Amino acid sequence: MKKSDLVKLYQSHKLYLFPVTVALSSIFLIAFIIYPQTIKLIENQKASGDLISKSKLLETKVAALERFNEEDLSQKTQVALVSLPLEKDLGEIIGLLQQIGAQSGFSVASISVSVNNAGSPSGGNTDNTAKTADLNDYKILLSVQGPKVLLQSLLKNLESSPRLIKINNIDIASNSKSSEIIEVSLSLSVLYAPLPENLVKADSPLPDLTQNDEELISNLEMAEATVSSSNQLSPKGKANPFE
Amino acid sequence: MKVFINLLPPEIVASELKKAKFYKVQFIAIGVILFMIFISSLTLALRVLQSHNNSLYKTKIAQAEQKISDMGKTQNSLLVLKDRLGMISQHYKIQSQQSKMYELLDTLVPSSVTVNAISIDKKGTVNLTVLTSDPAVLDQMIDNLTNKEKNQQAISQTGVDGVSRSASGLYRVSFTIKQKQDK
Repeated sequence: MKKSDLVKLYQSHKLYLFPVTVALSSIFLIAFIIYPQTIKLIENQKASGDLISKSKLLETKVAALERFNEEDLSQKTQVALVSLPLEKDLGEIIGLLQQIGAQSGFSVASISVSVNNAGSPSGGNTDNTAKTADLNDYKILLSVQGPKVLLQSLLKNLESSPRLIKINNIDIASNSKSSEIIEVSLSLSVLYAPLPENLVKADSPLPDLTQNDEELISNLEMAEATVSSSNQLSPKGKANPFE
Repeated sequence: MKVFINLLPPEIVASELKKAKFYKVQFIAIGVILFMIFISSLTLALRVLQSHNNSLYKTKIAQAEQKISDMGKTQNSLLVLKDRLGMISQHYKIQSQQSKMYELLDTLVPSSVTVNAISIDKKGTVNLTVLTSDPAVLDQMIDNLTNKEKNQQAISQTGVDGVSRSASGLYRVSFTIKQKQDK
């Protein structure tokens, strides 16, 4: 095409050339830059909000954790695990029941763990382990002999012991030799509870220890302290339940 | 009276009008393209700012998660402690029905009555066997068990299962006492 033809073409259409170029450029900018970026901006706004919330939550969590003394917390946890261990603690409970019986003025005649129908020692979930909400328990039959006047003391000591024990049945028979001496057979449920599976949640807020929690821990510590040193209670199970 | 006379030839007038129209269209087109460039730049700038902020928050989150991980033992202890305390508080020092029933019977059974056997089951139902030689004391005991004021409204039903009297005048009485269930 000759230069003169180009000039003629330009002269005849010069009014529309630049606007058409602008229009095409605008369409290009809208289609490839403005529209996609605006959509991404809107989509990412929600994600940004979530990031901000998560950041604030985690910072609050960090601040809350930094307030706690690790050793003190660990000690309190041990106290709680003595009271309600993660698994059965047959060895510990037998010593404790003997201790409570002696403290209450009773002599322990026998302590037996209830067996299943097959007659084999209880174990796993096939024994008469029952579930109360999140709690499990195992049955113990405690037979003691002692003064009738001290029975209420025995029952109170059992129910306020540092280890969670519930009384199911009470059978009392007078001793043939003396009406003041009784033979007591107590069916007990000793509670324990494994940890829930979803205990640790990364994004959930951290619980705090309330005044009631501190009082309960203090009561448990005092109750454990009254148990004689000859029967040192220790929590049953792994030192670190999360390993 | 003013008279307006345009001495310009019509071709020049048309040409001037065409020129004016041309400049007007060019001006609008330049305005539009500048506006488009401005909007594009603004959008890109906002996206860059958003990405930058997201990166900052992600960094903060990573740092916080690292700190929480370093304090994992403290967190685990706290969670285990709260879990335990929640359950312990529901059961610690809670007097059982059986224990309450025995405590009540201890006050209702006169001291001169000999308790031969007591059995308190899971529901708090009591099977009681007593011995006494004095029928008046026996009457008093039955009154204690059945009187709502004396039994603290804790007993819903008292039944006598059996009465026997030995040759020596010793009464042997068996009771079934049902505890009032809390609704």
